[in-house]
Amino acid sequence: MTDGPQPDRDEDRVLAGEYALGLLTPEEAAAFEERMAQDPELRALYAAWAEDFAALTDDFPEIAPPARARARIMQQLFDKPEQRSVAQRLGLGWISGGLAAAAVAAVIALNAGLFDVGPRAPLEPEYVAQIAAEDGTLIVQAAYDAERGALYVDRPVGAPAPGRSLELWLIAGEEPAISLGVLPDAQKGNMIVPTELRPKLAGGVLAISDEPEGGSPTGVATGAVLAVGNVTPV
Amino acid sequence: MSQPLIEEHIARTATGDREAFGRLYSLTSAKLFGVALRVLNDRAEAEEVLQEVFVKVWRNADRYRANGLSPMTWLITIARNAAIDRLRRRREGQAELDAAEVVPDPAPGPEAHAVAGSERERLAGCFGELERDKAEAVRRAYLGGETYAELAAAMDVPLNTMRTWLRRSLLKLRECLDR
Repeated sequence: MTDGPQPDRDEDRVLAGEYALGLLTPEEAAAFEERMAQDPELRALYAAWAEDFAALTDDFPEIAPPARARARIMQQLFDKPEQRSVAQRLGLGWISGGLAAAAVAAVIALNAGLFDVGPRAPLEPEYVAQIAAEDGTLIVQAAYDAERGALYVDRPVGAPAPGRSLELWLIAGEEPAISLGVLPDAQKGNMIVPTELRPKLAGGVLAISDEPEGGSPTGVATGAVLAVGNVTPV
Repeated sequence: MSQPLIEEHIARTATGDREAFGRLYSLTSAKLFGVALRVLNDRAEAEEVLQEVFVKVWRNADRYRANGLSPMTWLITIARNAAIDRLRRRREGQAELDAAEVVPDPAPGPEAHAVAGSERERLAGCFGELERDKAEAVRRAYLGGETYAELAAAMDVPLNTMRTWLRRSLLKLRECLDR
């Protein structure tokens, strides 16, 4: 890296500042970004400006946005109306203690009579399974409610890749994997286990694979197996 | 606001953790809404910008680490850029109406009188070393999204003069900030 012309660092300092301010033409900005992708020093020059300019906002008071802003964001990102409860559609599926009571009140008022709390883990599951990726990037907890034939799934970590689906498979003994369906888009949901498969859960293995949107078109897993876990009696 | 905590929420958001994303929103939305509101001076537009910002954060959280910015700077920069984009679109619509009556506004905003915090003092000190109208031009570019052409019109100087002034000011500012 010692031969070749040294880049003019003063010029680059100024250029990085102009880029941070948005003063470059689109072509100049694109060229700068391209250089920045190759040049960590240039990236550091930009970062220095970004830090300093961001400090210009230090005095700006924090102003709480209206509660509906949060609901709209969650709706835009996570909404699949046909598959989700009203509560989840409004982003209530994962509301934590930090949310202002006002937000809850507003949502309830808007949806009086429609409000429901979304899927819940069974109180007395017959089986449970933790289906986890080795590197921890996908974790699904499953609990089987024998009375309803429903497998409750909670996915605290991980999500399908854009345009892809996560499909859940049951592997019983030496038999080929049988699809239990595509995991719900929501973090939590229930999957009904077909009657003939219910006896096979005991001692089985659950696995999750990466599939085209809507699930494997062939009935066998076509993508990478991302996570596996044993079904264990409670 | 705890930077390590925000950083952790961004990292967990990058793994698709919606709860972490929700916490990140709880911790930072008021600051980012404050920034958008200050730039746009319109609550409805600031709200739309906030929505854009958090959608971007959800989709790009995995790219946060590569950019070398502190977590609040990353978020503030996304919010500022989104607000400026909108402001510029708004101005384009108005440009013809207003072209004839652009008036220079040399009065520094309240942020020029920054007080507490060593970071802010350092910044205010370095802005203070610039000539007043040059410092104001830099500030207007950042917080008002003004282009070279707009700044030149506002200060009634040729475009190239404006560019030269501002570039020199940036170099002085950088030298001072790196001192």
